[in-house]
Amino acid sequence: MPENIYEARMAGCTLTGALSVACFIPGAVAVVHAPQGCVHQTFSILHAMANESDLWTVPEILVSDISDREVIFGGEERLSATLDTAAAKKPDLIVVVTSCVPETIGDDCGVICSRHPYADRIVYVPTSGFLGGSAKDGENAVLEALATHAPVREPVPGTVALIGEKNLESEADQNYAEVERLLNRLGLRVTVRFCRNCDYATLMQLGTAACFILRDDRAADAGKRIGERFGRPVISEFPHGLSGCLTFLRAAGEACGVVEERIAAAIAEETAYQGSMLEKFANLSGTAVFLGAEPFTGTAEVAREAIARLDMQESTDGFSIRLPFYLPIGTAGVEKMLYLWRRTVNNG
Amino acid sequence: MRQIALYGKGGIGKSTTSANLSAAFSEMDLDVMQIGCDPKHDSTRMLMHGRWIPTVLEQMYERKDLTAEDVIFTGFGGVRCVEAGGPEPGIGCAGRGIIATFQLLEKMKALYGNVVVYDVLGDVVCGGFAMPMRDGYAQEVYLVTSGELMSLYAANNICKAIARLSQRSTARCRLGGVICNSKNMDNERELVAEFAHRIGSNLVQFIPRDKAVQAAEVNQMTVIEHAPQSPQAEVYRELAKTILANEDLRIPKALELDELEHLAREYL
Repeated sequence: MPENIYEARMAGCTLTGALSVACFIPGAVAVVHAPQGCVHQTFSILHAMANESDLWTVPEILVSDISDREVIFGGEERLSATLDTAAAKKPDLIVVVTSCVPETIGDDCGVICSRHPYADRIVYVPTSGFLGGSAKDGENAVLEALATHAPVREPVPGTVALIGEKNLESEADQNYAEVERLLNRLGLRVTVRFCRNCDYATLMQLGTAACFILRDDRAADAGKRIGERFGRPVISEFPHGLSGCLTFLRAAGEACGVVEERIAAAIAEETAYQGSMLEKFANLSGTAVFLGAEPFTGTAEVAREAIARLDMQESTDGFSIRLPFYLPIGTAGVEKMLYLWRRTVNNG
Repeated sequence: MRQIALYGKGGIGKSTTSANLSAAFSEMDLDVMQIGCDPKHDSTRMLMHGRWIPTVLEQMYERKDLTAEDVIFTGFGGVRCVEAGGPEPGIGCAGRGIIATFQLLEKMKALYGNVVVYDVLGDVVCGGFAMPMRDGYAQEVYLVTSGELMSLYAANNICKAIARLSQRSTARCRLGGVICNSKNMDNERELVAEFAHRIGSNLVQFIPRDKAVQAAEVNQMTVIEHAPQSPQAEVYRELAKTILANEDLRIPKALELDELEHLAREYL
């Protein structure tokens, strides 16, 4: 019996992860070398997530539609024909991803892509999940392949690229706004959101950013390699929790070469801002709460910091409050969490 | 209906043995079918007088109205010949091709007659090539080998597959015996007989190396047809009679590699 028989269900399909990035690039076409069913299954999930995120874009996805015939005789011609169809649309980019089947039968997809007349605009990402990948690996593989496509350029001081924001993540734009607010305190500006609806022209600007900030540590390995390729510092995740914001300000400031006085001023401003935010919840002081299950590691730590700062108590007899499903980002994330708690305490 | 599969290392002479065996069965007034399970699709060529018959796989995706007549061709002695076919070397999945062929033949109800002979690619390289041994197709497997170590090694591997498949409740596949297709080595008959004994089976036929085989092949015929009076033709007839009479079907016990190598050294 495999050791990870229970954990495996959390890993997800590599193709799904890959498509969650590949099919949300404006101006690009995603080509999936797979049986139709793999794409349908994947897109059903993506479609449900898109609905939840009020995202109504219908991505351009072409599937090579491998069947029994291609399994037996090879699917390379089918991929080539699908690339022809994609290229006829003259997209800015073609991102080719694969299901498990091509790797099983030994299709040499890399060669087919590299020999195609449109090869300069084709990014091939092998994403056969049975080789041990997860959805996270699929996301990261596409991120890294796209980053490799962007040229290395001279960094523009004061600019930042965000890497790995999920297109289908709920609250992606609120989280972005919070990170942008914090960076603005340091005089930094976000020039590339890679790949949050990042078109080809924006992607080509990736190398101009002076610093890369990863959405979360799921992309840590890919982010490290991307940072090495461009010779840029990499911050491993968006800030969580109150103290996490302050740490983030220092790390981002130092990574971007911001002078110490400006970093210290930004931290002081944010500390004061957090203080005034917490004052709005002063009526929670002394309230006993019981934290529910932690959906993602780190959420409870953020919550406990807020409990301590508001002089609340943790008790099994306290109000049962729910932790946010995703890690709260920045001061705004904590504030939103506290609104939810207060509503629970006041209204049950 | 007897369903017989011949397995062995590539180039050992499975197709020659299969075709002559089918021809010998046909001389006994049996209704015989031979199915080549190798992408090389040359199993039945001598029965078809050198003709490369259209394969099942090259037709099944081109034609929706495919019938048994399109994939079954009558050769020498009325032997019904089928070639599974498969992909070119280096691409696709030949094993899946064998499975698809069997599924189609089953759907067409094409597997009938007194004897069906399956001639299967060199080694059991994946589950697809084990298909003739599965699902109640071939009930008896004959290993074709010479005294060369690598040939015995391949035969030994097939024993592992038979032993594994025989554990399934639906499996009826057993080892019928070992056929030695001689390479004119010293002590070859004794070596192969001892190998057969150690895996728990018997040497059912020793086929000597004979120019009659080459002569028949260049004339695009089986030995049975080209030189019916030759001693070699008699050997194949003998093999056919032995197989028909054989009721001694066993689950083999594959040798460890050390033991196999030691055995080969003993008979050098």
